[in-house]
Amino acid sequence: MASVKLTNVKKIYDKKVVAVHDFNLDIKDKEFVVFVGPSGCGKSTTLRMIAGLEDISEGTVEIDGVVVNDLQPKDRDIAMVFQNYALYPHLTVFENMAFSLRLKKVPNDEVYKRVTEAAEVLGITEYLTRKPRALSGGQRQRVAIGRAMVRDSKVFLMDEPLSNLDAKLRNQMRAEIILLRKKINTTFIYVTHDQTEAMTLGDRIVIMKDGYIQQVGTPTEVFENPVNLFVAGFIGAPQMNTFRTELVRENGKYFVTPFGSKIEVDGETGRLLAEKNIDSRSVVLGVRPEHISLAKPGVNAIPCTITVNEMMGSELHIHAVTESGAQLVVRVPTLGLSKQERAGLVNGALIHVTFPGEVMHLFDPETERNLLY
Amino acid sequence: MSKNKPHLGMRAKSTISNTVIYVILVLMSIIWLTPFVCILLESFRIESTGRVGYIIPKQWGFDNYINLWTKTNFPIWFRNTFVIALAVAVLQTLIVLSVSYVLSRIRFNGRKLLMNTCLVLGMFPGFVTMIVLYKVLSGFGLTGANSVPGLILVYCASSGMGYYVSKGFFDTIPKSLDEAARVDGATRFQVFYKVIMPLSKPIVIYTILTAFMAPWGDFMFAKYISHGTEAGMNVAVGLQYWISSKTLISTNYTMFCAGGVCVALPVTILFMCLQKYYVEGVTGGAVKG
Repeated sequence: MASVKLTNVKKIYDKKVVAVHDFNLDIKDKEFVVFVGPSGCGKSTTLRMIAGLEDISEGTVEIDGVVVNDLQPKDRDIAMVFQNYALYPHLTVFENMAFSLRLKKVPNDEVYKRVTEAAEVLGITEYLTRKPRALSGGQRQRVAIGRAMVRDSKVFLMDEPLSNLDAKLRNQMRAEIILLRKKINTTFIYVTHDQTEAMTLGDRIVIMKDGYIQQVGTPTEVFENPVNLFVAGFIGAPQMNTFRTELVRENGKYFVTPFGSKIEVDGETGRLLAEKNIDSRSVVLGVRPEHISLAKPGVNAIPCTITVNEMMGSELHIHAVTESGAQLVVRVPTLGLSKQERAGLVNGALIHVTFPGEVMHLFDPETERNLLY
Repeated sequence: MSKNKPHLGMRAKSTISNTVIYVILVLMSIIWLTPFVCILLESFRIESTGRVGYIIPKQWGFDNYINLWTKTNFPIWFRNTFVIALAVAVLQTLIVLSVSYVLSRIRFNGRKLLMNTCLVLGMFPGFVTMIVLYKVLSGFGLTGANSVPGLILVYCASSGMGYYVSKGFFDTIPKSLDEAARVDGATRFQVFYKVIMPLSKPIVIYTILTAFMAPWGDFMFAKYISHGTEAGMNVAVGLQYWISSKTLISTNYTMFCAGGVCVALPVTILFMCLQKYYVEGVTGGAVKG
């Protein structure tokens, strides 16, 4: 149980390649923080610097107020779960989990107690005498988590622990990690490239790209108020629709004009625009697929043609193309959709879509930053 | 029946090809084993101590072996060889495995240069340094009767340069195992002997065997460092001494053969005991694969 503080942390490889730029983050005691971003964004490198597996080129990492830059991993009191499990193949599951305790010369009965307790929590008691090669992927990952659990360490690091599992198992393990977190109640730092994992697990999410932090916030914050186009596109599935368009200010009201339509920017977004006194200008308009709805033809509706219709069960993902050739995706819930309406949503059909002002995200086309945040 | 015909044809074909292969293999092993059988038979011959024109002994007995161990310097040579080989096996294994592990795991300035230099240096035959080595060792008084420590030094000196095979093996062990162990609280050395060593049994055995074999059978270095002093000879040099002139051959030839058998036995037994580790793979299940 500890806080982790990163101040101006930088990682430079071979004196030229900068993998992490000026990383600043304050992680509170017992917080669950997720680093998320595409591959090569520096998230794993940052985690490995916290673990002590990579040298810190510049800046400081503090655990519980102590600068750990020059401490060996073994002296940092951290536990880590690796993407490829990294179980010791020559040891049984029990000895794998007991490895760190044996190194610390913990008495045998204490080792037995802690390992069996962790095994029980993870449901792997019956495999304790097996070697890792006799386990399935999910079981191996449980052992890896168990090995970290028995440590009772200050910080729990997880480096893409679910990436090697199949989709079903991943969902199951994700739920188990949420339960696990309640049980062991320590500081977690979790690295993933999967935004769903980030959104469901994290108290706070750190979104990274090319070595820079893009945004730090709660899942709701980063979903509702993305600070730039990258965050807007990265968080949420399917991806947010973005269109280059004009923001028009008329008599104190704001309108956007995508594809010949004219939709008022009302609600909170409109109010904030007025508050910031933003003038008419070019913008990139972002709207999430779930915020777009089917509409009747009119001035505030965009006509488009369906190209792909994906039936997801509870909803339809409709990919459509506008007259000017722009692509957009719409999520239409199947609940409340009549058979007749659904029959109309076939490839090649002409539909009209619209969205309210309050769900709009407006970005500067040059800097890609959100105009409001 | 017509359906089965091609099937039978294939079976007949494979029988023929197998027969041919086995005949060739049997012939090759006969050619290969003949000298060993001859030496074994000669060592039991007691009607003559020199060379004769036939293979099967007319009179059989253990006299050659008894004389070898009781009336000659052979026990000294055997002890010398054993001490040297054992010491070299231990030291060289430690050195080679440490160097290989470091070159496989730790990145430091000049690592590539060091590896390439070793590779190039290793291409020069060992005996180009013979004269210098002799001068250095004689300066320390490690030649002649004292050649055992001298030879141990010579055999171990550049052993770190033979890192390729074991480095290649260590490279196949995932680095994340080292990292997991380090996070679990192990020092670099604990990682090496608690995680990497148990996973490297085949390569440890291989290194021990090769490190033991080289001095066990070495003739050249042992010959000039012992410099004709019987107390400092190893078995290869000593046995060669027995057949170095016609008069010596006529009195020592059968004993020479018995000596050869005694030298070959321990190595053969060692190989038979340890060969299963050559093929044993233990890394299964370490990581997803």
